[in-house]
Amino acid sequence: MRDRINEALKRSKADYTEIRIEEKETTRAAFRGKELEVANANIDKGGIVRCLIKNKGWGVATFNDLDDLLNKTDQAYQCAQVGSVPEPIELASVEPVEKISTVEMKRDFRDIPLSEKKALAEHYNQVVMGYSNKIIDTQAVYVDTFSKIILANSEGTYIEQDRPSVVMGTTAIARDGDNVQQAHDSVSSTQGYEYVLNKDEMVKMVAQHAVELLAAKPVKGGQYTVVANQMLAGVFIHEAFGHLSEADFVYENPKAREMMSLGRRFGKGILNVFDDGSVPNQRGTTLYDDEGTPARRNWLIQNGELVGRLHSRQTAGKMGEKASGNARAINYRFAPIVRMTNTAIENGTTSFEDMIKDIELGIYACEAYGGQTQLENFSFSSGYAYMIRNGKMAEMVKDVILAGNLFSTLENIDAIGNDFAWIKTGGGCGKGNQYPLPVGMGAPHIRIQNVVIGGE
Amino acid sequence: MDILKQLKKQAEQVEVLSLQNEKTTVEYEANQLKNCSVAETKGTAVRVIRKGLLGFAASSDETAMDKLAAHALESATFGDKAQFSFPDTKPAPIVRTFDKVVADLSIGRLAEIGQEILDLVLTVEPEARCNISLERAIVSASIRNQKDLDVTFKTSPLSLGLEIDRIEGDDVLIVFDQFGTTVWEKDYMDFAHRLVEKLMKARTITSIKPGTMPVLFAPSGTLALVLPLSQGLNGKEVYKGTSPLAGKIGEKIFDEKISMVDDGTIDGKFASSSYDDEGVPRRCNSLIEKGVLKSFIYDLKTAAQSGVESTGNASRGLFNPPEPSGTNLVIQPGKTSLKDILAGMDNGIIVEDLLGIGQGNIISGAFSNPLALAFKVEKGEIVGRVKDLSIAGNIYDLLKNVEAVSKETQWVYSTVCAPYILMPEMNVSGKA
Repeated sequence: MRDRINEALKRSKADYTEIRIEEKETTRAAFRGKELEVANANIDKGGIVRCLIKNKGWGVATFNDLDDLLNKTDQAYQCAQVGSVPEPIELASVEPVEKISTVEMKRDFRDIPLSEKKALAEHYNQVVMGYSNKIIDTQAVYVDTFSKIILANSEGTYIEQDRPSVVMGTTAIARDGDNVQQAHDSVSSTQGYEYVLNKDEMVKMVAQHAVELLAAKPVKGGQYTVVANQMLAGVFIHEAFGHLSEADFVYENPKAREMMSLGRRFGKGILNVFDDGSVPNQRGTTLYDDEGTPARRNWLIQNGELVGRLHSRQTAGKMGEKASGNARAINYRFAPIVRMTNTAIENGTTSFEDMIKDIELGIYACEAYGGQTQLENFSFSSGYAYMIRNGKMAEMVKDVILAGNLFSTLENIDAIGNDFAWIKTGGGCGKGNQYPLPVGMGAPHIRIQNVVIGGE
Repeated sequence: MDILKQLKKQAEQVEVLSLQNEKTTVEYEANQLKNCSVAETKGTAVRVIRKGLLGFAASSDETAMDKLAAHALESATFGDKAQFSFPDTKPAPIVRTFDKVVADLSIGRLAEIGQEILDLVLTVEPEARCNISLERAIVSASIRNQKDLDVTFKTSPLSLGLEIDRIEGDDVLIVFDQFGTTVWEKDYMDFAHRLVEKLMKARTITSIKPGTMPVLFAPSGTLALVLPLSQGLNGKEVYKGTSPLAGKIGEKIFDEKISMVDDGTIDGKFASSSYDDEGVPRRCNSLIEKGVLKSFIYDLKTAAQSGVESTGNASRGLFNPPEPSGTNLVIQPGKTSLKDILAGMDNGIIVEDLLGIGQGNIISGAFSNPLALAFKVEKGEIVGRVKDLSIAGNIYDLLKNVEAVSKETQWVYSTVCAPYILMPEMNVSGKA
């Protein structure tokens, strides 16, 4: 394969050519309610050629048939001819890398028979089903994927890397008359099968939360002091801030660039945020991104000030900054775009007790269903939440949706916990048509003043 | 050897889906034609029923057919008990979903259409930034099974997506729509004209006192209602008992002004085809008629589980087994003209776009979203854009009492056709 790739790269007439070949095997065992949805294995194998003609644009060809790389490279070159950029596209320089790395898992999930994976999902499913007769539906989904990826470009880079992932997720749906509530949690690892074993406690909590939500009242809309747990704080910094740090959002947009100008105050001095694909064994860990740039720690906010952003080679080239290792693609059907890896709020100093003790009326919001941002406006929902009354945890509430303006919300973060944790859930991030991309998130508890909570 | 023949010897029932997809995409990013791509996808998905148990496997590696067959059989050893059979060939409606004009659209022609859209927007809004995606595909799917069903269908989907950003000082406005068709449509620019109109109307910014008021959902805003509803109408959710509509067939669940169909047989529409992804003929399913719940949507498996027939709504990607899924969702027009609806609004808002649709516990019908684009109506006149507002409610309560449904309908986001729907009162919250 390597020879054929080299041949195609050598013959390409483009200013820059890149070839990525991926071979992925996925095993899945999914239960829904009493029934098995599927227990099976899929094979996905294909490639992408990307050509850049500097004063025209990018051309891309993707394919399943790997026999004809020369022809595909020519197709991508023809596509690049169609572009008409007003200024030449210059890529930030990256040292060519030759690297062949293989991953060794403690218990390699490829050696575990499908029957065992199915039994594991079935077991967790039964734990949820058996929790209460109010649980009317469940999901228990085991998925492992092992991708072998070859990346090579016309500058001499040749990288082979393995990307293993195993995820076990459960959902509980509880019903009482017309009242239907759900809760979800998952655990993921890049290190092996054993990390999804012995998760009965997690799974039980999922069932418990769904049942408890049946009795919860909808939150009353208004402005509250909100304490977010690690998961919600992690999702918040990813959704509301992280996406704006992706340089493709600003590099062609002078006004967005102004909004995200380095040095701008983004919060109180206690706030520090980074993205780091080199943290070992997190969900977004990528030693080399899909342009061959090595991962590193990129500080985004330091002492409340915006200090950096995330780049592909193209966005970095355009902005005169360094490639940051954030050009990622979900698979061979897509060209890489600027994405986060593992994004986190750095640990602070406030204990959880101190954080809530002076709150007269507030909300402790946990977990997250997901969210959406539109520039500086965001909206996302917590999985479950509790009222805080007179410094103490009070009753559970539901339908807690946080919405607001990023800048005022970051400025309103007035306490950062001392209990940092990486989130181990197995979710993924969506951008453009590319979903789901594994990303990592981390944070301690945080407290935010004056958050607008929607509600009737 | 052909994988169908091979597996027929080892299983009672076999289904083989072969997919072939060729797609050309032209992308304008920030008003610049920057990316063009061609994609070829090929793959095979197999379902088998062996000793009564269902198995599934898929592969995009044509050289690994033996492994694919082995994976499918292994999957069936753990599979669920199949209560259904793969279908016989049945006559299907003739639905136009392939057009040579679309199939022959060259990469250069797509680039021209993009330029035409860009020129339209920039003439009116020189400061706007457009991301335009023009995508033309030729999709061939063939479904064969042990009963000699052999259905091949070809579609030529064309989709034009337009996102316009306008940032002026602290005022940010982003609007998006997508036009999708499978036959050439001479009015392909209409959707872009409508978006530009929205932008122009949003130039005037005004304010409204939060509180209880009439709320008019524009066709694009009805997505907040349609999305939870299409989940609630999904036969799988009904069978699992999670749909709030389970067990309510024949009951009056909504205001009688609300009627809705799922119609996969409309010529040229994005989600149309003669057959569904299991080879069952597509049809027009009446879901809600004058407020009365008539039917849910099913694929073969969920239909058998529920003791009914498939409604021709099986949908699948290569790597997943079929699931019931809506096709083109049409909310039927009402009796009042939009003009008259507006004339009757003394103080209220029109909801065009919401932020974060689809998040939260949507199966329950609950939603709570900031308004990305809304207009104020004062004494029957649209007086300007209102910002920093949000609405919350539950569609199963809201749709019980609808003030008016407009005669005018609009296709939005390629697969939804909706009128304007007026709610007599909703709580609109915001910073007072």
